[in-house]
Amino acid sequence: MWRRARSISNVVGLGEILSVVVLALAFVIPVASDSPFTHSVANQTLIAITATFSVYIMLRMDLLTFAVPAFMGLGGYAVALAGLRGGVTDAVALTVLSFAVPALVALPLGALILRLRGVYFVLVTFVLTEILLLVIFETPGLTGGSNGLVGMPPIDLFGLSIADNRQVLAFAAGITVLAAIITAALTRYYRQHFASIEENEVLAQSLGLVVWRYKVIGFVVAAGLSGMAGFLLVNMLLTAHPTSFSPISSVNYIAYAIVGGRSSILGPIIGSTLLVWAANIFSIQGEYSQGLFGLLIMICVTLAKGGIVGTAILLWERYGPAWPWGAARASGLAADGARVRP
Amino acid sequence: MGNRFHGATTMAATALAIGLTVGSAAAQCELKLGVIGVMSGPAAQWGLALRGAAELVAAEANAAGGLPVGSQKCKVSTVSIDSKYTAEGAAAAANNMVSQGIKLIIGPIGSPEMTGLKPIANRNNLLVMGNGYAKDAIGPQWPLVFHQGPGPSGWAAPIVEVAKAKFNMKKVVLIAPNDQGGTDIASVDAAAYKKHGIEAIEEYYQRGTTNFAPIITRALNAKPDAVDTASSPPGDAGIIIKQLRQAGFAGPIGRLGGPGTEEIARVAGGYEVLKNFYWYEPVYIDDKVRAIAESYKKLMNANPPENNLFFQWVSATRMVTKAVTKAGTVDDVKKIADALRSLPVEDENMGKGLWIGKEFFGINQELSFPFGIGLILDGKMQPVLRHEAATGK
Amino acid sequence: MEGFVNTALIGVSLGAQYALLALGFTLIFGILGVVNFAHGGFYVLGGYVAYACVQHLGVPYPIAVMVAALATAGLGYVFEYFLLEHLIDNHLATLMLTLGFYLVMATGILVVFGPESPEFRFPISGTLRSGGIYIPLENFVVLSVCLLTIVGVYLLMYFTDFGRALRALADDRPVAMAQGLRPGILFPAAFGLATGLAGLTGALVTPILSLAPHIGDSVLAISFITVILGGLGSIGGATAAAFIVGMVEAFSSVYLGGSKGALTLFTLVLVILVVRPSGLFGREVRGA
Repeated sequence: MWRRARSISNVVGLGEILSVVVLALAFVIPVASDSPFTHSVANQTLIAITATFSVYIMLRMDLLTFAVPAFMGLGGYAVALAGLRGGVTDAVALTVLSFAVPALVALPLGALILRLRGVYFVLVTFVLTEILLLVIFETPGLTGGSNGLVGMPPIDLFGLSIADNRQVLAFAAGITVLAAIITAALTRYYRQHFASIEENEVLAQSLGLVVWRYKVIGFVVAAGLSGMAGFLLVNMLLTAHPTSFSPISSVNYIAYAIVGGRSSILGPIIGSTLLVWAANIFSIQGEYSQGLFGLLIMICVTLAKGGIVGTAILLWERYGPAWPWGAARASGLAADGARVRP
Repeated sequence: MGNRFHGATTMAATALAIGLTVGSAAAQCELKLGVIGVMSGPAAQWGLALRGAAELVAAEANAAGGLPVGSQKCKVSTVSIDSKYTAEGAAAAANNMVSQGIKLIIGPIGSPEMTGLKPIANRNNLLVMGNGYAKDAIGPQWPLVFHQGPGPSGWAAPIVEVAKAKFNMKKVVLIAPNDQGGTDIASVDAAAYKKHGIEAIEEYYQRGTTNFAPIITRALNAKPDAVDTASSPPGDAGIIIKQLRQAGFAGPIGRLGGPGTEEIARVAGGYEVLKNFYWYEPVYIDDKVRAIAESYKKLMNANPPENNLFFQWVSATRMVTKAVTKAGTVDDVKKIADALRSLPVEDENMGKGLWIGKEFFGINQELSFPFGIGLILDGKMQPVLRHEAATGK
Repeated sequence: MEGFVNTALIGVSLGAQYALLALGFTLIFGILGVVNFAHGGFYVLGGYVAYACVQHLGVPYPIAVMVAALATAGLGYVFEYFLLEHLIDNHLATLMLTLGFYLVMATGILVVFGPESPEFRFPISGTLRSGGIYIPLENFVVLSVCLLTIVGVYLLMYFTDFGRALRALADDRPVAMAQGLRPGILFPAAFGLATGLAGLTGALVTPILSLAPHIGDSVLAISFITVILGGLGSIGGATAAAFIVGMVEAFSSVYLGGSKGALTLFTLVLVILVVRPSGLFGREVRGA
C-alpha cells in the first residue's frame, strides 16, 4: 500500500507531465498515418480519454459516477443546437459552451446529491443518465427526440474550417490535451483536499475542511470535461444521437478508468487506449465481440488489481532498476495521496 | 504513447489484412464485401441474418467458379464487423472497412447506424446497400447510398387496406419502443391507418421493458378495435400479444413492422393465441424463395438465419454483385453505382421489382420487390398474400 | 374502478417479480459488498437451463426449475471461489470482474442458443376473471414462490448458524473473522445462494414473459433501484421497495404512458434519495 508520507508532494506530478506529453504526441497521428482505421480508433480513444478524466476526478474523492453519458449528452446537444439553430461554428465558443452547459447543470445538482455516499451516489448518477435519455425522447421539438440532431455545419477554428478526418482528429487531440491540463491542474491544486476526502471524509470534515465545497468543485469540473468529450463525439459524427449517450455506455468509461488504474492520471489514458483499440479489433468477430471485451476486462482486473498503471508502479518499485534521479520517484506517477491499491 | 499506439494499430490492421488475403492467392482477382450490422446485444438477430445473406451470396459466386468481372473470375469474400446498433459503432466499422480497402458495404440495419455511416461513406466513396426506416435513410445528398427495401411508407398502406377489409376496425392502438427503432415506424404506420379513416393512437414503451401488463392496460383503456405491435422486437411482441389476450382483448392484432411471426407465436403461445393476426412479410415466400434456404444449407453446411429479412438481404447483395459484373470493375465505385442504378430490379428467386424512392426520399435508389401480407385467421395460418412491389407513390 | 384494481394487481405481480430479483442482489451486496453486474446474466442463464432441461431432456418443469437454481448456484460458487474472492476487498475491481463475466455469459448464451426466443411455456395457463378484473394464474405461482422464498431466506439468515455467520461478516468483517468465521468458505456459499435465487427467478419468470439472450440488461437496473431504495442488505427493505417500485411502475405507465412512466419512476428515485440519503429503510452506508 502506498503511504502518503512516501510520496513527494512538492514535485509537480510526473504522471501529469507525462500525460500531457503523451497526449500531445497524438498530434502526430494525423500527419504520420493515412489509415482511416487508425484515425477512427485514435479519435474514439481521445474522446474516451476526455470522458474518462471525469471518472478519474470523481474517483479522487472516492465517488463512482455513472453520469458521464448524461453530461456528455448535455455538452454534445448544446453544441449541436448552437450549430444547427444558432449557426455558431466557432470552435472556441463551442468548446466553452460544451464545458459550461453541463457544469452549470452540475452546480445545483451537485449541491443536492453529493451528500450521498458510496453506492447510493452510484445509483443517483445512473438514474440521472436514464432521466436525460427520457427527456430527449420526450422533447422531439428541441432535441430531435429519438432521431437525434443531424446535419450540423462543420466547425471552424480561427477561420480554418475543420472538416476532414485529419483536422477533426487534430482538433480532438487539442481538446484532450486541454482536458488533461484541466484535470492535472484540478487534482494537483486540490490534491490534499481530495486525498483527505478519499481517505476519510468524516475525519476531514471534523478537522474543518469544508468538504462539500471541494466535492462540488470536482463534480462541476468533471461534468464540464464530460461535456467536452460529448462535443468531440458529436463533432466526429456531425450528429447528436441518443444512442451515443446510452446509460449502459457509462460502464465503458468506468472500465477505462479502473482497468487503466485509478491511482494516476495516466490510468485513464492507458485504459482508454487499450480498451477502445481492443473493442475495435474485437468487433470484427461479430457475435463474439462483447464476450471478448468482457474476457479482456476480467483478465485485466484479475492480473492487475491496482489497474495497469498502479500495478506497473508496484512492479517497478519492487523489481525495476532505480530511477536515474533517485529511488522512489516512481511515486510521482501516482496522483499525490492516492493509494495504489494492491 | 501516440506513436506506439499508432504502430500497434497499423500492425494489427496489417495482420488482419494478411490473414484475410491468405487463401485467395489462387483466384486472379478478389471482391471484398464489407458487412456492417449489429451482431451482439438485443438486436443481434438482424445483423446475423444480414451476415448470413452476404456470406451465402459470396459462396454462391465462388461455387460457380467466381464472379465474372470483365474477362476475369473473381473470388468473393466478406468481412463483417459488429456495429453495435450505435452511430459511432457503424462509423468506426466503416473506417475500418476503408482501411482494408473495402469499397462496397452491405448493411447496416438500424437508423442510428445509417446516420453514423453515411458521412463516412460520402467522404470515402463507399457504396452502401443498407436498411433503416428513418425518414432520411437515403437521399440526394448521399448518392452512393442505396436502400435494400422500402420502409413503411412503401408497404403500410396496402396492408392496412387488406386488414380493414377483413376486420373493419375503426380504432387502433400502436405499441412500439420509444427509441428510433420504434418511433420512425409506428408514426408512419399511424399515418397509413389514418389515411384509411382509422383512428390511430401511438403508445411507446421504454426499451428493455419485460412485463407489458401496464402498457397494455393503458392501450386497452382507449377501447381499440385492433392493436398493432409495429416494430416491437419479436420477443416483445410475443409477450404483448400474450398479455393482451390475458387482459381479455379479443380483437385482431397487427404488426406493420417486420417479420418474426414464428418467434412471436412461440413466445405468445401458438397461433391460437395470435388468433387474428396480420403482418408485413418483407419477402413473398414461395418455393422459389425457400430454395434460397436450401442453398444456404448446402453451401454453408448450417441452418439459415431464422429472420426472414435474410431473403431480402440475399436479393440486395446479389444486386450489388451483379452491378460489379456489369461495371466490369471491382474498385471503381462510381462505375459500380451507375451500373446498379441502371440494372433492372430482378432476382432469380424473388422475381421482378422496381427502383423507387423518388417521391419519399428524393432519390430513386430503393429496391422494391414483391412483398407479402401475412394473415392468421381464427388461429389458422393463411397463405401469405402476394403484393406487387411497392411503388412508393 | 376496474382499471384501478387491475393496475394494482399488475403492480403486485411486478412487485413479486422484482422482489425475487432483488433478493439475491441484496444478499450479495449486503454480505460481500459487491455490486453484482452479472446478476441479470444468472437470471437469463437460469431461464435457458430450465428451457434446455424441458425441451431437450424432457424433464418435468418443476424439476427443471430446481436444476436451473442448482446450476446457477454452482456457477456462482465457482466464480466467487476462483475469481471474485481474490479481489473481494476492492469494490471497483469486483464491479469490473462481474461486468466482464456478464458480457461473457450473455455472449455464450447468444452463441449457444441463438438470438431468437425459443418456445418455453409455463405449464399452467388460464386467467381468473370477475367482471373486468383479471389475474393470470401464473401470477399466483410467482407470488407464492416469491413469498416462500423470502420467508425461506429470512429463516436462513436469522435462524441458522450459516445465516448468523453471514450476517456477522456483513456487519463487521474484521471482528467476525477474529472470532473464527472464514469468509473464504462462507462467501462462495453466500454468492452461490444469491445466484441460485437469480437462476430460480429466471427459470420461473422467463416462460411467463420471454426468454432471449439479452433480457438480463434490464434486470440489473431494476434490481439495483429496488435494493438501494430499500436500504442496503435489508431483506425486508428490499421486499417492500420491490412492491413500491412495482406499484409506481404500474400506475405511472397506465396513467402517463411508457416513457413518461419510466421518467416518473426515475425522478421519484432521485427525489427519495435526495430526501433520504440511505434509502427508505436503510441505516448503514457502505462504500462502493
